[in-house]
Amino acid sequence: MSTTQPPGSAHAHDELPSSTVTLIVNDQPRSARCPDRTLLVELIRDELGLFGTHAGCLNGDCGACTVNVDGRITKSCLVLAPAAEGTTITTVEGLGEPGALHPVQEAFWEKDGFQCGFCLPGQLFATIDLLDHEDAPSDDDIRGALAGNICRCTGYQKIIDSVRCAAERTARTPD
Amino acid sequence: MTLTHSPAATANPDLDPGQSAGSNVEHGERVRRKDGDLILTGRGRYLDDIELPRLTHAAVLRSPHPHARIISVNLDAALRMPGVVTALSGGQAMPLAGPVPHYYDPAVAGERTAEFRCLAVEKVLYVGQPVAAVVAETLHEAEAALKFIEVDYEVLPFVTDELAALEPGAPRIFEDWDDNVLIRSAFAEGDTDAAFAGAAHTLREEIRIQRYNTAPMETRGYIATWGLDGVLTFHGSSQNPHPLRSNLATSLGVPETKIRVVAARLGGGFGHKFHGYPEEPLVCVLSKIVGRPVQWLETRSDSMLVGAREMVHHIEVAFEDDGEIVAWRNLIHANIGALGSMAGWGMSFVAGMAFPGPYRVKNYDVTSLAIVTNKAPWNGARGYGKESAALAIERTVDRVAQELGLDPVQVRRRNFIPSDEFPYWTAAKRLDSGNYDGVMDKVVELAGYDALRLEQVSVRGEGRLFGVGVAFELTPEGGDFPGDLVRGFDTSTVRVDPSGDVRVLTGVTSPGTGNETGIAQVVARELGVSVDTVTVYQGDTDVSPYGYGNASSRSMNVGGGSALLAARDVKERLALAAGVLMEDDPAALTFADGWITTTNGHRMRFSEVARAVFTQSIAIPAMNQPQLESTRTYGPDNLLHVPDEHGRVSPYPTYPNSGHIASVEVDRDTGVVRLLSYAAVDDCGTVINPTMVEGQFFGAIVMGIGGALWEELPYDNSGRPVAGTFKHYLMPRTPDLPEIRIGSQVTPSPFTILGTKGAGEGGVAGAVACIANAVNDALRPLGVTAHQMPLSGPRVLEAINTAVPL
Ligand code: FES
Ligand code: FES
Repeated sequence: MSTTQPPGSAHAHDELPSSTVTLIVNDQPRSARCPDRTLLVELIRDELGLFGTHAGCLNGDCGACTVNVDGRITKSCLVLAPAAEGTTITTVEGLGEPGALHPVQEAFWEKDGFQCGFCLPGQLFATIDLLDHEDAPSDDDIRGALAGNICRCTGYQKIIDSVRCAAERTARTPD
Repeated sequence: MTLTHSPAATANPDLDPGQSAGSNVEHGERVRRKDGDLILTGRGRYLDDIELPRLTHAAVLRSPHPHARIISVNLDAALRMPGVVTALSGGQAMPLAGPVPHYYDPAVAGERTAEFRCLAVEKVLYVGQPVAAVVAETLHEAEAALKFIEVDYEVLPFVTDELAALEPGAPRIFEDWDDNVLIRSAFAEGDTDAAFAGAAHTLREEIRIQRYNTAPMETRGYIATWGLDGVLTFHGSSQNPHPLRSNLATSLGVPETKIRVVAARLGGGFGHKFHGYPEEPLVCVLSKIVGRPVQWLETRSDSMLVGAREMVHHIEVAFEDDGEIVAWRNLIHANIGALGSMAGWGMSFVAGMAFPGPYRVKNYDVTSLAIVTNKAPWNGARGYGKESAALAIERTVDRVAQELGLDPVQVRRRNFIPSDEFPYWTAAKRLDSGNYDGVMDKVVELAGYDALRLEQVSVRGEGRLFGVGVAFELTPEGGDFPGDLVRGFDTSTVRVDPSGDVRVLTGVTSPGTGNETGIAQVVARELGVSVDTVTVYQGDTDVSPYGYGNASSRSMNVGGGSALLAARDVKERLALAAGVLMEDDPAALTFADGWITTTNGHRMRFSEVARAVFTQSIAIPAMNQPQLESTRTYGPDNLLHVPDEHGRVSPYPTYPNSGHIASVEVDRDTGVVRLLSYAAVDDCGTVINPTMVEGQFFGAIVMGIGGALWEELPYDNSGRPVAGTFKHYLMPRTPDLPEIRIGSQVTPSPFTILGTKGAGEGGVAGAVACIANAVNDALRPLGVTAHQMPLSGPRVLEAINTAVPL
């Protein structure tokens, strides 16, 4: 899916109403100038170079573009970039890194909760959000929490197993 | 390179437990998915994540008409739009690119064919056909400029219905054909007419499967860039990068050595990323014109243009009092749209070939017509016609059970091909092996079938519509189609570095399924090293040997098989060196846990021996094999193209199978189906990594459920597709599904080197059929059937409303 607005194409930015958006992304202060019609997912991917946030529909349907904005999980294709001015954002890159995965990422690897991985931002953020609010989620809680995220590869069963596994682990390690 | 056929009994070490001792990774080990940490942390790179300097963006203007003559295309206004670098019409593209080569040209099968250009030249044949293209600095600018292209059309009569397309006066899709039939495939055995005449019972049904596709979460995309040396680098979301390279060379008139295709990490394939699309040569031509890299990305609504599966089965079955099925007759009408160069049309062939499924039915007469219409062309879709066949076969088996008042499980058991009759020939298949009763036993137990039937009695007693569905799926896999670049063998190189690290370069690709992990396991096991030291390279035509990529659940059979043979060669060379260094018989060495050990307990690290091969060979004369590399090609036995004494051939070598049982409740007032339980057991032969195989099976089952209940690509009366987003095209989501329980049985294929049969596709067909049977079982008290898929609320309600009030 297309989200592209190459950084070099300054002339396009000049001709359209544009703003400078300043925000904190994965603990780093960032700013970028972009046309006001730019979607947050475009800002994240094309201006900030964080390609882990994916665009599967640009229509709010799939969840592949999910990030955390000021503590709330958000489909970044449904937000205009200027509306994110002053926010604090975590993208999937900010959850963990190779060698130091977030416990939910660990659970997804162990339980094979993904195949192609394209849908992962939505599944991971929805799981983290669920477990933030619910120590011992029921199966209905889990299915409800993941409802906004389409996965074509897994049939969801191993995603649900991953969420259960993550829930057990988080429950065992109170912080 | 020679094609290695392995005699079944001798070349299958996995059937001999004695030989697996001493290996580091046993088959069946749950190794975690390779690169999982990268993918989980957003560090996997897909097509749209590739950054190239001076990249430009293409947008495509598509036909708004289902059938029209192009009178003129005026690009002037578009060229003046901000950011626009170039624009191109079909006429201008003509001299720059030849026809898009077919994925598998029907002409190779002796049938009619048609040519398709990257941009339509004289006529458009479907809504969505590319007509012109714009390249701009940004995608937004390219898309904005499309609105300023003026195209003058003369609208022509169109036909989107397959039966209407067969009428004598129907609009002709291809003017030089004398009707709208691409191919008529016939599959027959025995004396069907006599069997029908002599049978105690017959019945007939019309069963329709809708147009829908696979909707991977990542859509397609391509980036073309020409180097100063004239080399075209083509990054593409492609399941088959080598054949795509060959076809680009043909289409562009460029030596194949001047093209490199790099398949990016795929966000799902499922057939959607088979090649033959007009945008493939188009981006190359555009990039050549602008002298900069050009990227094109499929929008979600573009992706919903791609069709598949739409078929009607006019099916009849003849059977005896005890449930024995004696004959089938089926006429299939497949509405394949305007053909195109992609891989879709073959699904109509496979839908017929798949008969008579897992059943020992000696009389059948099946004809499948691929009918062209003014809908957008098909591409391959997971199931590849087998889901359509399974739906028709399994629905009629259930109808037989219903007519006779027998249990549907019993009727299936009555008709299964017995385990001792393999290999078993049908008209166009030789089935490798199977234990269908065993699979059925397991799924009956896993599903709690008897309890479900008891529950049904009590729930029906309350007046509710509760159904139990049973289905059995047989999935021909690993197809080999000589004459074009769709083959059933593949090639891998195994290389050991002086460090002892292992590289596998293979012609099979992974669309995100995890076959790289399985292939690494096979090689690690053979060499007795940790799977973490094995890296698998796929998808780059400058790196991997020529191969046929990802299709037909072939990757472990032939990617794993060829890698195993190459690993054995390398192991032999390492053994030779180790034998010299440790003064022992090379044949007596064991390779395990990263060590090579002699019979009397001396040992060297695998890495030490590897280094010695590079540093000591030739200097020590007995060490005369200085290179740790081998390239081998492997194809299963049972690819049979030379007709046997009955004139039979078999293009598919392996036949995984699965049993499915589901329960549903149908809301009488709305027709909405609620899926209550689902259990399935598969048998795909030897399993290299159960975790990956389970993942494939779950994904396939849910894809089948989605197609059975919701997913659809309808057209309106004006010949336009209706679904363009996931608000119209309804994908399964977590709350729609119950816990899915699966099990497995292992009946190795005697014809593949690993005993594998192929995993990936299997499950779609069984799920489509199982859900259809469950819903129809639920509707039974009303005396109605629902045979038009998908079984969405409105459609089931329509069936309910045909019930005669009691
Ligand atoms: S891309 Fe945002 S929800 Fe699909
Ligand atoms: S893992 Fe491929 S879409 Fe979810």
